[in-house]
Amino acid sequence: MSANNMSDPRRPNKVLRYKPPPSECNPALDDPTPDYMNLLGMIFSMCGLMLKWCAWVAVYCSFISFANSRSSEDTKQMMSSFMLSISAVVMSYLQNPQPMTPPW
Amino acid sequence: MKAFHAFCVVLLIFGSVSEAKFDDFEDEEDIVEYDDNDFAEFEDITEDSVTESPQRVITTEDDEDETTVELEGQDESQEGDFEDADTQEGDTESEPYDDEEFEGYEDKPDTSSSKNKDPITIVDVPAHLQNSWESYYLEILMVTGLLAYIMNYIIGKNKNSRLAQAWFNTHRELLESNFTLVGDDGTNKEATSTGKLNQENEHIYNLWCSGRVCCEGMLIQLRFLKRQDLLNVLARMMRPVSDQVQKVTMNDEDMDTYVFAVGTRKALVRLQKEMQDLSEFCSDKPKSGAKYGLPDSLAILSEMGEVTEGMMDTKMVHFLTHYADKIESVHFSDQFSGPKIMQEEGQPLKLPDTKRTLLFTFNVPGSGNTYPKDMEALLPLMNMVIYSIDKAKKFRLNREGKQKADKNRARVEENFLKLTHVQRQEAAQSRREEKKRAEKERIMNEEDPEKQRRLEEAALRREQKKLEKKQMKMKQIKVKAM
Repeated sequence: MSANNMSDPRRPNKVLRYKPPPSECNPALDDPTPDYMNLLGMIFSMCGLMLKWCAWVAVYCSFISFANSRSSEDTKQMMSSFMLSISAVVMSYLQNPQPMTPPW
Repeated sequence: MKAFHAFCVVLLIFGSVSEAKFDDFEDEEDIVEYDDNDFAEFEDITEDSVTESPQRVITTEDDEDETTVELEGQDESQEGDFEDADTQEGDTESEPYDDEEFEGYEDKPDTSSSKNKDPITIVDVPAHLQNSWESYYLEILMVTGLLAYIMNYIIGKNKNSRLAQAWFNTHRELLESNFTLVGDDGTNKEATSTGKLNQENEHIYNLWCSGRVCCEGMLIQLRFLKRQDLLNVLARMMRPVSDQVQKVTMNDEDMDTYVFAVGTRKALVRLQKEMQDLSEFCSDKPKSGAKYGLPDSLAILSEMGEVTEGMMDTKMVHFLTHYADKIESVHFSDQFSGPKIMQEEGQPLKLPDTKRTLLFTFNVPGSGNTYPKDMEALLPLMNMVIYSIDKAKKFRLNREGKQKADKNRARVEENFLKLTHVQRQEAAQSRREEKKRAEKERIMNEEDPEKQRRLEEAALRREQKKLEKKQMKMKQIKVKAM
């Protein structure tokens, strides 16, 4: 009887389970940063084989993408993007061990 | 006799020595004039030089080894003699001599002129040929930047986590006294309270509460700043932003039909543009709430005046006035369907699903520099939410208001149907054509010619019937119009 007391607003029979809102209905609310950064990271990784600074920017992009990613996102994609950028840096230095020259 | 013998011996010795020296010279000059020393070829063949040469012979023989090298460490007397040679040789430049041996001496006047013609530039050793860590300064800078990013990520993540936990600890008691289910991620088989927040991101935390009278459920979203992203942190230095707490409650079907919003003017303008229901039902600009005793910072958007009157009771006004700095927006609607959906192919063919919802957006005090203790300031706002849930269920429009509300909803639906009329017609047309095509294919595929003929006849009869019906309709419309 105490549970059904007038002062107690709780109703165990009215419990509804949590349903995660589908992301398709609110695409504008989803933050596009991790996807953009992922894509940029891959592009810069490809360019990094020619230019050293591109490889470094790719590493930064993959870090930013990781920091902004949702927990529901696949970690495999994050890891693969990260590995790609690191390999771009390593390969550009193996090919050309000279230090990077500033563009100015 | 003896003296003569001695003189001959001396002469012989000198002769042998000078012969050896003469081998070096290829000049055809008078041998007598050459001195018996290395410098003989540099000397001028003048009276001055002849008179001085004996002196030279004596002094320079001692320093044969040093003459080919830079003139360092030689005696001052030597230098004095060389200076004399310089002046003499300066006079006769036509005299051939080896330039290399007197670098820095006789060429003093000449080097200045030669410098003007051919400047010697001393170039630094290129960086990539240097074997030092200093040349890799850009790489070191990059790695330092990455380390700084990682440090900021860890610090930011921890701070957000502490803030979320502080909020939950402050509000836990109130929530547990109002809801049966506090915390659910939807994965458990049974509906049991997890008693903790769902982490969606490093800066977004969710909490689902359910099991209350007047309310189906409440989703609380803690939208913190992206403290884990260094770029965001730097951007925020230019433009301070607050953390936000959003509460969305789905109310019972008992909630009456109205659309109402109150909040900061900026927020309301934005919501009016973005939200489907506010743009359709509250077409007027946000009005000032001063009439109801609200501060100037807050404005009101309402479907009709009666709703505003009903909503702005004493307690609500008290909440809004006291916590105006923390309130971003409060939105009550029975036609809530989220933000406007921009579809590429035009209007959606169906009206979006609507839910009776109360939305609250609060700003955490501190403008970004939030501490866990600031979360306690949000507790009274939770009380406001609970009060609003109960009020929304109890509030009823009078007959006039209800009629107006129904009219509004019918109008919106009609407008929507008109806009989509063309699309719906096209969709219906395409469906009909698809059906016809399927029918024809079936007839074609039929192997039995008799059956084929019968099916064709049936299809023809159906078409004729349809035409007749249409003609009848047209006649009826014409009669009506007349």
